[in-house]
Amino acid sequence: MSFEEFENQARLYVIGALEPEELEGFEQARKSFGQRAEDVITDCYSMHEAFALSLRPAKSSDALKDRLMSMVRNRQKS
Amino acid sequence: MAIDITSTTGVPEGPSVVRLPASVPELEPGAPTDLELMHAIQREDPEALSVLYDRYNGILKALILRVIHNEAEADDLLQEIFMEIWNQAKNFSAQKGKPLGWMVTLARRRAIDGLRKKQAYARAGERLQTETEQQPDAWVHNATEEEISFGDTRVLVRRVIDTLPAAQQEAINLAFFRGMSQREIAAQTNTPLGTVKTRLELGLKKIYDGLKELRDEL
Repeated sequence: MSFEEFENQARLYVIGALEPEELEGFEQARKSFGQRAEDVITDCYSMHEAFALSLRPAKSSDALKDRLMSMVRNRQKS
Repeated sequence: MAIDITSTTGVPEGPSVVRLPASVPELEPGAPTDLELMHAIQREDPEALSVLYDRYNGILKALILRVIHNEAEADDLLQEIFMEIWNQAKNFSAQKGKPLGWMVTLARRRAIDGLRKKQAYARAGERLQTETEQQPDAWVHNATEEEISFGDTRVLVRRVIDTLPAAQQEAINLAFFRGMSQREIAAQTNTPLGTVKTRLELGLKKIYDGLKELRDEL
């Protein structure tokens, strides 16, 4: 697999769209390309952020936050 | 509003690294960065979680809603996700990306897990198919009228996404927001598997390159 092919597959990999039969080859290439491959995968995960930011923020209730913080503080005490 | 491409999350910007055009939202002078908040959460400071929640609950809830389309379930999941952020913060590493990216990845995984469970019980696949047929170009749907400081970033990211042909947007939408495999997308859209793969590859490359260009321009 060329590095360009690996980059293509990495973009599919980070959104979970690689088919099972493609995963083995991808993981082999990932090992052989080493840190360069890891850097590409890390970069590709930036797209997750972009997809989320393409959405208009949705409103949550104040009660939800109160519940969350209460759970966190209770967990701290226990 | 001026867009600052330098990260406020403390992650070094390398020349070949794709980063988003803006760190969102704009922070008040002296406000803690996302990375500082994550470090504080790692030290079990609840106030840091509170600030992080205020900053990002809207984005994460929008993402969850985009996946599961149910307000009450989205609220439950949002609460679970912030609990997971609290519990798993020690696993966050700035070397692997920005805090928002880590949170989005976590939220997406939880939302898709929730969707799959729901589908198993309620045959939601049929409903999803109807929704997709009715809204083939849909990407931004779960909008409230709330307009906060994410606006400029959203416009810039949308500009990149909107350059894609509708078929590529649809394939990426189904993969990212529905967690569908290439085969599932092919079945859902009645498209050959090879075509789905090509649409995903081309579309994702354009988005990736577009985000990089956007960063370089700014």
